Amino acid sequence: MPTPRAAGLGSRAVHRRKVAGGAISLLGPATLMMLVMLVAPLAIMARYSFDKFDPTEMMIAAVTPENYIRFFADPFYWSVLVVTFRVSVIVTIACLLLGVPMGWRLARTQSRWKSMLVILIVLPLFIGSIVRTAGWMILFSHGGMLDQIARAIGMQGVDLMYSEPAVIIGIIAINLPYTVLILQSVFEGIDTRLDEAAASMGASPKRAFWRIIFPLALPGIMIAFALCFILSMNAFPTPVLLGGPRFQMMAPLLYYAFSSDNNWPFSGAIAFILMGITLGLTGLAHIAIPRRYRG
Amino acid sequence: MVGAKKSGFDAALSRRMLLGGAALLAAPALITRRAQAAETCVVGTWGGDYARLLHENIDEPLLKPQGIDITQDVADETPRVAKLFASRRLPHGTLDVACVGAPQGFRCGEAGLLETLDETSVPNLRYLRPDLKSKTFIPHIYSAQVLVYNPQTVTDPPKTFGDLLDPKWKGKVGVIGQNSFWAMMGASMFTSGNPSDFDKAKEYMLKLNANGLRLYPSTDSLAPAFKSGEIDVGIVWQARIFMWQNAGFPVASTFPQEGAILYVSGMVVPKNAPDKPTALKYINAMLAPAAQQGFAAHMGYLPTVTNAPLSGNVAKGLAFPDPTPKLVQPDYAVTTKVEPEVNDWWQKNISHS
Repeated sequence: MPTPRAAGLGSRAVHRRKVAGGAISLLGPATLMMLVMLVAPLAIMARYSFDKFDPTEMMIAAVTPENYIRFFADPFYWSVLVVTFRVSVIVTIACLLLGVPMGWRLARTQSRWKSMLVILIVLPLFIGSIVRTAGWMILFSHGGMLDQIARAIGMQGVDLMYSEPAVIIGIIAINLPYTVLILQSVFEGIDTRLDEAAASMGASPKRAFWRIIFPLALPGIMIAFALCFILSMNAFPTPVLLGGPRFQMMAPLLYYAFSSDNNWPFSGAIAFILMGITLGLTGLAHIAIPRRYRG
Repeated sequence: MVGAKKSGFDAALSRRMLLGGAALLAAPALITRRAQAAETCVVGTWGGDYARLLHENIDEPLLKPQGIDITQDVADETPRVAKLFASRRLPHGTLDVACVGAPQGFRCGEAGLLETLDETSVPNLRYLRPDLKSKTFIPHIYSAQVLVYNPQTVTDPPKTFGDLLDPKWKGKVGVIGQNSFWAMMGASMFTSGNPSDFDKAKEYMLKLNANGLRLYPSTDSLAPAFKSGEIDVGIVWQARIFMWQNAGFPVASTFPQEGAILYVSGMVVPKNAPDKPTALKYINAMLAPAAQQGFAAHMGYLPTVTNAPLSGNVAKGLAFPDPTPKLVQPDYAVTTKVEPEVNDWWQKNISHS
């Protein structure tokens, strides 16, 4: 006959097994889907990246690092990586600078128009990024709206099309709604009584924000940073359409290697280099935040 | 317990329900089997106007009356070719007909992926222009690479690729980035008299680039640049001149005196096509005069057969000047081998400068 203590341990073990079973049944389908839809194609692509390219046969099975060496040994590809990094950092900083006050204001407003303001921020997400970029093209191009307005008021023409500023503006427009929505939910989760407590102890709203709210929001801001940075590093339609053929970023470079020559091994290598560098830099940024502020 | 009411999982697996479920599972197979009684042809094609015109000029008027259903597998050319290579060892591939440009058609033919076609299996091949004939790649439409200019601003249009180097057009010459390899072949014709001297073509392109060459990401982005006055001259397909003139853009063209490179688009039948007889019927229909004339009228590409005369505005708009210009086909055996290297050079020395 089991002792009460043994019976208690047994029931706890049963409970743990039930919890584990429930977790597996809830997480299992999604995990399986991820394995099939994401990990399996990535594994295949990783294998291709070590194959050899042949102009006639397309791809010859091999195990060679030459595609990775080709990338890192050529200053051209380094320069593309630098441009991609530069654009992504500028876009991410701009999105955070614009997104933090917007997210904060949205979270704290008591206005009856709050829902409408949220809808206004979400609205651009209903339009595909290519269609939005087409709108920027009309605005930026030679003879476009900006150009015509500038000329009408006696200024020199404005021709932003096929330039880095055009690409940066285009990507900011795409990433900003995501950033604001994340930051709004982060600020919503911070108790408003903390503001009141800080005020009751004499802190100005500015001081309360920087000393109390901002540190608490930092883990969420890091998530917004990571999302914005990853989206920028992998941007495709905007650099192609607003940057033109002379402006090179990593995702269009990858597509070019694939689409112009069917060079799957080199495209695969570029994809893994881009993925590795993006994840590495995002991880570094996370480490750079003091431990007490991490989520 | 006998007689007890079944509940939960047991109830869900009653014999009657199992039989019903089996019947339901079998139903799609039976329906599919019935549907497969009609002939079907899977055509790998580009999307947009090309796919629409295939549907309007070949699928509906010529093949539907024969009881042939067409399924379009829309994608870019590159993944389509990759698919042909990837499925080469399978007994049955996924495409009956694949639309490709002549260079990729040659590449697939060299790799032994394609069925050899002749007049016995495709009767309309007897009308194919002799200079376009190939054993495995069947030309559908073609157009020449010409010098395009804005007739409102240019009084003395360029006559050769060399004219584009004139400093008077500094910053006013436009080229489509996607067509860079074809522009390189045109440059080679000017510098060496043949389309495959890429060393000389590179020297030419560096000079053109130094003269303020403007690059555009797609074919359709060139026409607005003429309208806005951003460029005055450029390089493009004659077919586009026809389309853009019809759309009201200020463009006209001259054929380069050294010879105009031909772009030929066509179709191929993979050796492992699932339904080869139907694929051959499709190729035959594609060469029919009405189908060829339809493409000329709407896309501005010339018929590849000799029995599809054009008339009216289409004939006028697509007529070659007198005397007939020199038309040059690329040496596909060379292009297949050197294109990756030339594309790489272009990207590093022209695009990235």
